[in-house]
Amino acid sequence: MRNSSPSSPVSFLGDRLRGADARASLTALFESLRPDLLRFAQWLARDRAVAEDIVQEALLRAWRSRDALKDPAAARAWLLTIVRREHARLYERKRLELVSLDEAAEIPDSALRADGDADLLTLRAGIMKLPLEYREPLVMQVLGGFSTEEIARELELTGTAVLTRLFRARHKLRALCGTDAAPGAAPREEPA
Amino acid sequence: MICEDARLLIGADPECAAPELEEHLRGCAECAALREEMRRFNADIRRALQEPPDLQLPRHVPAAPRWREWALAASVVLASLAAIAVWLLRPTDTLAHEVVMHVRGEPDSWLSTHNVNVGAIDHSLRRSGVALDFASDRIVYAQSCWFRGHYVPHLVVETAQGPATVLILRHVQVKAPDYFHESGMSGVIVPAGDGSIAVLERGSAQVKDLAGELRQEVHWLPEPKDPS
Repeated sequence: MRNSSPSSPVSFLGDRLRGADARASLTALFESLRPDLLRFAQWLARDRAVAEDIVQEALLRAWRSRDALKDPAAARAWLLTIVRREHARLYERKRLELVSLDEAAEIPDSALRADGDADLLTLRAGIMKLPLEYREPLVMQVLGGFSTEEIARELELTGTAVLTRLFRARHKLRALCGTDAAPGAAPREEPA
Repeated sequence: MICEDARLLIGADPECAAPELEEHLRGCAECAALREEMRRFNADIRRALQEPPDLQLPRHVPAAPRWREWALAASVVLASLAAIAVWLLRPTDTLAHEVVMHVRGEPDSWLSTHNVNVGAIDHSLRRSGVALDFASDRIVYAQSCWFRGHYVPHLVVETAQGPATVLILRHVQVKAPDYFHESGMSGVIVPAGDGSIAVLERGSAQVKDLAGELRQEVHWLPEPKDPS
């Protein structure tokens, strides 16, 4: 894998991003967002090396199509979307080696729950164990700040289906954390 | 909105402030309390997600015979020592990790044995605004690579102890030499003027010596206007 740029990284620039200063600003902006992108990718991929590759590829794609970014304030959401798509693309290209998280990460027993950090650890383990169909919208919502409508559009689901998945994700986490039963019954149907 | 709908919406999106939900909550203390509880839980989820995931989570260890406790204790000591070793040899920052990942992405570069012509070396250096007073016959690989938003020279230099990879990072500053060991490679990133130089090896090449040599011989030229 060559970590190369497009053949001419400065061949076309939007009016708002013209010149060396704008290029440097955009590079700095991308770099400043890299930790966020990496954290997001890691929660999706659950593997640091894979997440690094995803972010690297996403940043290259973003750089190539940087003139599509009209508003720098929207850069974070724009880049997170590219990272998510790159992650999805990775799954389309090849089935990643799957690790049984039941074996890899047992949830700490109830004795650990007395401690605040243990609660957090339990929650993190619970999120890790969530199937991707629940983990992905949850991470997009809580970490990415995406609205239900944005998640629905990105995952090509209905708004109702997204809400159902989010409800179930939290329901499972609350059950894992030993909190009281989740509010109401989980929705039965999940229209796509 | 009825309670069932409100609870489903709260469970899916505790931060939701839709007018119809707010109206329901004003008249339903139970649902309002539920939302507060779910918002606290959501804050916990947000806290949990702030750190990247880690597969090294604690395992529940069932009761075991006494000799197994000793074996377990010994394992813990060994694991701790291994963890300390890994900690001491860890890449101290993302830059070292990125450098290693980049070099890993070009495994063929290590295999080069032929000298690169001077034109190719010049091209990779000038494209990045770098001049190097270095014997070109020691360079067996020269590419101009995209790294952190800039083209950087990626060289492989033959040394008496084997090949060493060099990345000249005009736009990256480090305050002090940064030694690292990762993915079977050892290396150092040293400050050099306004930039830095990363030197990596996979065998026994003396990265410190080579880095010191390169530091004396690298010069920063005015940055090219169009790196393409």
